[in-house]
Amino acid sequence: MSIPALILFFAVIVLPFITGVIYSFTSWRGTYFAGGEGVLDSFVGFDNYINAFKNEKFLNAFGYTIKFTVVAVVAINIVALGLAMMITSLKRGGGIFRTIFFLPNLLGGLALGFIWQFIFQNVFSEVLFGANGLIHIPFLTNMLQDNTKALFALVILVTWQMAGYMMIIYITGLNNIPQDLYEAAQIDGASSFQQFRVITIPMLMPAITIVFFLTLANCFKLLDQNIALTDGNFNTRLLATQILRTTRDTAPPDYGLAQAQAVIFFVLIAAVTLIQLSLTKRREVELH
Amino acid sequence: MRKMLKVFSVCLVAVMLSAMLSGCGNMMSTGYDLYIFNGKGESAQALKDAAEAYSRETGKKVKTFSLGSGTSSIDTLRAEMNSKNMPTIFSIVNIQELKEWEEGGFVMDLTTAPDGAFKQLADEIPENMRLTSNGTNSYGIPYNVEGYGYIVDTRMVDALFGNGASQTFVTDAKNATYAEFVSLVTAVDSYIKSGTVATVTLGGKPYTFQSAKTDLSSKLTGVFAVAGSEKWTYGDHLVNVALNAVFDNPADAAAATDGQISALKGPLRAYARVLDMKTSYAAGRDGKVSRGADFINTTTANYDSAVQIFAESKALFIKQGNWAYTNIQKFNGEIVKTLEFIPVKLPLEDGDVVSDVKTADKLNRSISVYVPNYYAINAKATDEQKQAAMDFLVWLNTSESGQKFVTEDMAFVPYNADHTNIITDNSLSNSIIRYMKEGDVLSNPYGGAPVGWSGDTLGLEIMEKYLTKSEWTADDYNAIADYGIAKWKEMK
Repeated sequence: MSIPALILFFAVIVLPFITGVIYSFTSWRGTYFAGGEGVLDSFVGFDNYINAFKNEKFLNAFGYTIKFTVVAVVAINIVALGLAMMITSLKRGGGIFRTIFFLPNLLGGLALGFIWQFIFQNVFSEVLFGANGLIHIPFLTNMLQDNTKALFALVILVTWQMAGYMMIIYITGLNNIPQDLYEAAQIDGASSFQQFRVITIPMLMPAITIVFFLTLANCFKLLDQNIALTDGNFNTRLLATQILRTTRDTAPPDYGLAQAQAVIFFVLIAAVTLIQLSLTKRREVELH
Repeated sequence: MRKMLKVFSVCLVAVMLSAMLSGCGNMMSTGYDLYIFNGKGESAQALKDAAEAYSRETGKKVKTFSLGSGTSSIDTLRAEMNSKNMPTIFSIVNIQELKEWEEGGFVMDLTTAPDGAFKQLADEIPENMRLTSNGTNSYGIPYNVEGYGYIVDTRMVDALFGNGASQTFVTDAKNATYAEFVSLVTAVDSYIKSGTVATVTLGGKPYTFQSAKTDLSSKLTGVFAVAGSEKWTYGDHLVNVALNAVFDNPADAAAATDGQISALKGPLRAYARVLDMKTSYAAGRDGKVSRGADFINTTTANYDSAVQIFAESKALFIKQGNWAYTNIQKFNGEIVKTLEFIPVKLPLEDGDVVSDVKTADKLNRSISVYVPNYYAINAKATDEQKQAAMDFLVWLNTSESGQKFVTEDMAFVPYNADHTNIITDNSLSNSIIRYMKEGDVLSNPYGGAPVGWSGDTLGLEIMEKYLTKSEWTADDYNAIADYGIAKWKEMK
């Protein structure tokens, strides 16, 4: 029964992946192997990897991606958990809010990016926070024209987009916490912050594991929104954009270099998410 | 239920496997004699029509493939080149793009073509229009030529300087010095602001403003329509004019020595001064706009907005090419009938120009005219396919019916036409043809600069650091020139 699935998995995931790793050690140019007839002739060892780490644009993108991911993961989790706690505490209308907050998740990244580009450049910069706007907040104007501001613009966008989905996971987690724990804590005189810290957070650990995993991986891999908002201008390339653009930065197009960057990218995401999974899993508590 | 699922999954795998196998298997019959991969989406329909007409005349079946206009088709082309059914004719934009096809052995050197009509066609491509990596080989038949400069509406000239002024204005503005041109710009600016009537000299002849503004001239809000968020307008095209002071064609630029790159200092400084001047007198929707954050806003300072500002007669000039014709027409069907090109002038001295064939004066009366796209023949195709490709290109570029498609359906300025008797419906094409006839044309050396140097590096630097800055100083001009030179050397 599982053989067809295995064949499919092998054909569309494993094979291309292995091919990709092999190509990252060659001077593949997209349509031919430079310096020889076949793969073996154009084998360049670790040159592509060394060049990737010598590439200023790649290193920039690397740092920027990490900064962005840290800020975005924190922001998404705070907002998602806040929304989830708000909705679970509602007596009525929770379903409507849940739907509304979930909706942005259904939009595609590129379309969303262009909508937000308009919002940042016109609504934020002129109508709301501009010199003649509602309240003048210089930080929120022309956010796409500055390296740091653009990072926060991207965080605002992805928080708006992903928080709804993560909220659903948190709501499920919150609903699974037995109410008697809170009642017992109240009788013992615990403040609401203490209840949050010693009951909600530990009991929510399974949900936190999943949400952290999803947000970490998605933020690392972010591409469409980055291209739509700034297209990498002002040094705002994220890693995925950098890999995509490598073939445009070089002539003949250096697909080997791009592929090496992609392999580094894969190792990085795998390492970070595996470490995160083992760290958060260890803190999950089992109810007996 | 489980059984159905099982049957379904087996079917799915069978379909996928057969799709994979058929992809690898050799397809004996392709159903066509010639496959053309066209990189210029704008001419998709016209090329298809031409191919059909060719089929009717010769009985040969031609398949054409184009992506939508404005989309880069290079990734699709690479995928096609990896498949069994490679295109026989494909397009190459410039010598940067040529590199991969030349190195991979995909492109046929046209100088090795067998004697005949095609060989003659290839041999007759003017020297400066060849797609060549070393000066002797030649890899493409030009699609057409395109040109750019300051586009001006001659009716606006009449509105400013009185009826009939436009008859001599275009020639005089062409011959004007940079200083004369700048005084025209500042005079127009104060005329817009306060109606100051002044007399300016162009090419030695005086032009006096009309004392009262007309309906048309009162629409002006600035001198230039500028698209601050489009790096290619100042990164690629404007900088190209300066590169012409040192390089005569893309191959020249691709083979640049460090000495030649350093010689760009003067021209690039002149380029920065022109850009400063241009962006200091920019027209907006409701008035003059100045450099700042809004100047590079991608939603309001883009190509379409700039074209619209010019088409609505709010700016006297827009630096664009004849490709903008249909975009201008979209906003204002009247204005397109009376457009003309004026050269982009640089404050160059003869010492800045190191090219053997040009002088500062020559640069300032010429517009950039170059081949934006080439038809290349796939060297890996069979001899039979190559012959079919050559026959088609000969038909398209020399036969009367082929040329009709080029000039009318594709609305191209043909690269090889006898320019003395070509008159098109397109005012900008006619203007280009006039410049070609007079021999006052510049090449496109920016196409030979390191990939990404002009737009994505120098253009980006200017957009990020300078178009948001209100005042530029001589230090800024120097910094721009030094940055361009340093990056070229680094990226070479």
